[in-house]
Amino acid sequence: MSIVLEHKTGTKRNFLTAIKEAIREEMALNPDMVCMGEDIGLLGGAFGVTEGLLAEFGRARVIDAPISEALIAGAATGMALNGKTVMMELQFIDFISCGFDQIVNTMATFSYRTAGEVNLPIVMRGPAGAYGGGALYHSQMNEAWFCNSPGLKVLCPSTPYDAKGLLRSALRDGNPVLIYEIKELYRKRDIEQELPDDYTVPIGKAVVRREGADLTLVSYGQNVYHCLEAAEVLAKEGSSVEVIDLRSLVPLDMDAIRASIAKTGRVVVVNEAPMTCGFAGEVVARISTDCFELLDAPPLRVTRLDTPVPWAKTLETYVLPNTEKVVAAARKVLEF
Amino acid sequence: MTPPSHGAAAVQKRIEKTGDQALPRQALTPADNQELLRQLYLARYFDVRLIKEKKRGRLRGTLYSSHNQEAIIVGSLFGLEPTDWISPIHRDMPAFFLKDARRGWRNPERNGMSIEEVCSQVWCKATSPGRARDNWSHIGSKTKRIIHSTSMLAGTIPVACGVAYADRLNGGNAVVLTYNGEGSTAQGVFHESINFASVHKLPVITIVENNQWAYGTPVELGSPSPDIADRAKGYNIPGLIADGQDVLDVYDKVMAAVARARAGLGPSIVECKTFRAYGHGDHDDDRAAKYRPEEEVERGRSRDPIAVFKRWLVEHNQMSADEAQRFSPEGLSASEVTDDDFPPEVVQYLKEGIEFAIQAPVPPAEEGSRWVFAEGPR
Ligand SMILES: Cc1ncc(C[n+]2csc(CCOP(=O)(O)OP(=O)(O)O)c2C)c(N)n1
Ligand SMILES: [Mg+2]
Repeated sequence: MSIVLEHKTGTKRNFLTAIKEAIREEMALNPDMVCMGEDIGLLGGAFGVTEGLLAEFGRARVIDAPISEALIAGAATGMALNGKTVMMELQFIDFISCGFDQIVNTMATFSYRTAGEVNLPIVMRGPAGAYGGGALYHSQMNEAWFCNSPGLKVLCPSTPYDAKGLLRSALRDGNPVLIYEIKELYRKRDIEQELPDDYTVPIGKAVVRREGADLTLVSYGQNVYHCLEAAEVLAKEGSSVEVIDLRSLVPLDMDAIRASIAKTGRVVVVNEAPMTCGFAGEVVARISTDCFELLDAPPLRVTRLDTPVPWAKTLETYVLPNTEKVVAAARKVLEF
Repeated sequence: MTPPSHGAAAVQKRIEKTGDQALPRQALTPADNQELLRQLYLARYFDVRLIKEKKRGRLRGTLYSSHNQEAIIVGSLFGLEPTDWISPIHRDMPAFFLKDARRGWRNPERNGMSIEEVCSQVWCKATSPGRARDNWSHIGSKTKRIIHSTSMLAGTIPVACGVAYADRLNGGNAVVLTYNGEGSTAQGVFHESINFASVHKLPVITIVENNQWAYGTPVELGSPSPDIADRAKGYNIPGLIADGQDVLDVYDKVMAAVARARAGLGPSIVECKTFRAYGHGDHDDDRAAKYRPEEEVERGRSRDPIAVFKRWLVEHNQMSADEAQRFSPEGLSASEVTDDDFPPEVVQYLKEGIEFAIQAPVPPAEEGSRWVFAEGPR
């Protein structure tokens, strides 16, 4: 698997360690930063992302919240209103629905409805995504709900480097930022990276993971790896495929997409969320508008079926995108 | 099947009056009491004047009258420090300009909104604190310490918890007062917030304005107990009940909760018994007359907070019976009162606010797409 690595210094970190470091480093740099979430203190988080924070920064700044997602989101808003930077962890991104109203109606709208009087430095982050047997309530990618709610930035990194760099940027951004962390990538060995000491990754910039000339695959999160595998398969068939990792959904880097389609004229967009009103559909629509004169073939998308994520492996595989489904869509667009 | 009913007797029975001894009100001077009365007049005048403007078709949106509930707003705000925070909602419009008004209505230093700012908001002008982006009570101010409200009932209570938590980290000693209708207390986030506030002993005081109705739903269909304050037991905090028609009783109960909160002992619920004078909003006046029995409305409006307080002032020799007659809007609806029923300084204060708002510019159209995200200092 070929991944474009921006930096190659220091020791290797997995995705989870990269996030852990980002939080710790920002907590140390910013005395006004607070962390809040379920089981993040004494336990150190369901996945261990916040291990050590309580001992280092104390109970006042590392809050073991009750199982009250609406309260957590609302209190994060209140703390940010009163001068704090807040990292709030969702134990699983699926449970964000319990805090939905607070996030979309109170937090996301704050800057708008106060005409910029109040800006909220809040990062919401949590484990997301399917393919691990998590079934209906531990597999979701519900990013479309939030991309459709003005006032939130929405990110989904796919490498340790980006996970750390984007999280640090998010904690300094001054707007509410929601980060989908792909839990299947948390401890994945073959994506471990060496990370530099002090760096950030800009929000709103996509990255080319593999260069190509015939077709563009646009994706984010773990589907980036399906796209990279599909590019290998297609290379053997003689097609040169470019893979773009969006990293940031809101704001969306249309310049990067357009630059790639200017070369290839053909595009498939892949995401693991359900099809209808999913983010892939939005990207296809934006491409239809912004790349109108560049397209040599209609753009396609590969998504989950319009179903929840089922448990049994056979069912899960059936409904989710995978390398083969990406290859099939790519061939169709290449042959048009 | 008849709907459950808590009955009128139950509503009254829990208002425990403790007599006048050793109450927070003892610290109020006769001048303070005159100011309380002036603020009651101002809150009432603001309401009736806007009802008239609305009826003439001069205002957008819906007006949620605070008529008959003014003692809750005035009495709860009166003892606060300038550094305290409040979180008013739809029926609390006067709270925005009455916060910290004790330091002078026109005092630019005070931590409340000016009448010009509030009127600008009502008239949808660019001079509104929120530049007229959301309607009516949905304004706030970080510097004046007023939490920006939304339409989402009970939705700002968790925000109040966060504000209080941060204030403690900032080394402050502020309390945060949130206002809520009794209907809104059925929201899940009401529970989540008070639960958290109690766990962390946050100085968050939940004022429940129990006006017996939530839009078209009577309290007995929204709460298993006529006393919302009963919930406090489950959170291991005090649940006080105040006579919402009696500004001094509200003051006493809120100040008891404030003293406790400031001492680090945590939150309280202060339920204020009152009655909604009109329909839910001005759009609902005609329908409300159908779903609410006339005699219930009459009884509910029979203890006008202005009359109740004037009686107390007369009884305590702080006002003569003649003086008490001078300005008497009590018991009258907006259509029945005139400017002569209010002290001239009250009429003048609002007049200046309205004139300012009428002259003020509207927000330029292009602002509609601004500030979705931070743009730096305004
Ligand atoms: C979450 C939510 N649901 C419904 C509404 C619509 N609504 C606005 S006010 C109201 C009644 C509120 O009653 P109560 O809390 O008792 O306050 P009151 O209006 O009586 O002061 C309703 C149902 C809303 N604004 N927010
Ligand atoms: Mg009510």
